[in-house]
Amino acid sequence: MTATATELASAPPRASGAPEALRSAFYIGKREVRNVLRAPADFLPGLFIPVFFYFIQVGSLSKFATGFGLHNYKAFQLPIGLLFAASNGGSGLNMVMDIESGYFDKLLLTPVNRLALLIGAMGADLCRIFVQNTFVMVLALAAGLEFKTGIAGAAVLVIIASVWGLAYSAIGFGIALKTGSPAATQSAWVIFFPLIFLAPSFAPLNALSGWLRGAARANPVTYLLQGMRALSMEGWVAHDIFVGLIAIAAVGAFTLTLAFRGLLSRVR
Amino acid sequence: MDAIEASGLVKRFPARGDAAPVEAVAGIDLAVKEGEIFGFLGPNGAGKSTTVRVFTTLTKPTSGEARVAGLDIVRNAQAVRRIIGVALQEVGLDGRATGRELLELQAHLYGVGGGEPARRARELLDLVGLADAANRRIQTYSGGMKRRLDLASALVHKPRILFLDEPTSGLDPASRRTVWDEVRRLNDEDGITVFLTTQYLEEADELAQRVAIIDAGSIVAEGTPAELKGSIGADVVTITVPSEKIARAEKALAALKGVKEIRRHKHALTLFIADGSKAVAAVVRLLDEAKVQLDSITVASPTLDDVFLRATGHRIEGETAAVGVA
Repeated sequence: MTATATELASAPPRASGAPEALRSAFYIGKREVRNVLRAPADFLPGLFIPVFFYFIQVGSLSKFATGFGLHNYKAFQLPIGLLFAASNGGSGLNMVMDIESGYFDKLLLTPVNRLALLIGAMGADLCRIFVQNTFVMVLALAAGLEFKTGIAGAAVLVIIASVWGLAYSAIGFGIALKTGSPAATQSAWVIFFPLIFLAPSFAPLNALSGWLRGAARANPVTYLLQGMRALSMEGWVAHDIFVGLIAIAAVGAFTLTLAFRGLLSRVR
Repeated sequence: MDAIEASGLVKRFPARGDAAPVEAVAGIDLAVKEGEIFGFLGPNGAGKSTTVRVFTTLTKPTSGEARVAGLDIVRNAQAVRRIIGVALQEVGLDGRATGRELLELQAHLYGVGGGEPARRARELLDLVGLADAANRRIQTYSGGMKRRLDLASALVHKPRILFLDEPTSGLDPASRRTVWDEVRRLNDEDGITVFLTTQYLEEADELAQRVAIIDAGSIVAEGTPAELKGSIGADVVTITVPSEKIARAEKALAALKGVKEIRRHKHALTLFIADGSKAVAAVVRLLDEAKVQLDSITVASPTLDDVFLRATGHRIEGETAAVGVA
């Protein structure tokens, strides 16, 4: 029997709020993970490039680094490999493809909390980044990396790098949502270069000079690297690790705001 | 209470770069009764899709009010989304998913729980004839299959009001007929109110119980197809002549007895005349006297395109270069 409009209008809404939003985010994230697995060509370069850079740099700069007093250059370079894996620029591309194809509109037509669409996609991206970071870490350990804080420290390092990846990925999602342009979303990768190269990536901070040293001091990645290197080279140095986490939080506050604003502009 | 109602609905897009601002919806008033199939007919760019995007909460109106099932589309947007099903003009599907996965996800996002999403997906895939392709990736589907899957995804939560934006655009005649049959069945058996936009006259005539004709963002005529066609109160005589003789032909036929209105096009004249078949001989004689070569002449009962022509001065389909009114 046909429901009357009055009945429709007064129909009780389904469960809503945070549990419903998280439930929806789970299904959105599950779909994202499935799509990533179905297009390995999209994420395999994200595994290969950081490993390639790591081994090339360790192979070519290890002897040179002893001049700076760095005798465990593998441990010194590991955070760079992890940051490469965590910031590979693929974030937001699936979302922008959904926007282009019209599927994102289909999702917006459901009663799902808008934030769940972003949280689900970013959650799936976090899983991808975590797997990539774990892969880099396992290969580095297999190649003879001596890790100061042991397996527990290695796990914490992978988690820190993944959380950084999440903060960084918000840039891609923000651009995707704001512009709906795959080219613009892909360009999020460009932001990574000044962040990583204007930091003590290949030599310690005290070995840098002039403007580069000034730029490195203002770069949050410098403090993140110090925290990560504390784990890989020095031990559980709480201060450095804490400052590294603060750096991630500061960048994350900015990038997540960007992503949320992008979402708001898309659903307005 | 009407299923869908709008009052003074306006959607304006601001200027972007060199492009001027656009008023895509220019003050629409309409009411769609519960349980009816309502056709929203107009040419490309008339404002049909924007109206649908406003009703379905994808775009906020610039001004005016609209209600769906009595719910304000701005203030109660989320509640509106629970009630409506939507198939947009651009078939938005996830090409990497299978048909089954897409429908199951859609069901989950509407809060359908337990084993119900899988059951509902099976049911809908059967309904739209895609059971055999259920586990194939959507990127391998044909255009018609994608349309049918899109329609199925709009039905996953058993909506009471269905918005279909150009549902048969780009489909072959057989697939178009399949969609029409399904829309009728949904309306007849399930009592679903259907708001259907189309640029196909035949589609509006076949499916819609009432039709609103939209042009340049405004509704120019509204009623049942029979009422609209009857409102012309005349037969439609169309003659084609060489384009350089069109003005002379128009002048000659202006004196024709019983002619209510003449619309001039590039190569043709459309005459609204009381008894078309009887007027044919007089038309031929007048053109002959004016030394205008007649290429063709047809007499027909009015169509919705004629209603559109009379209201706007141009046709929905075919020639749109109407330039004058007698």
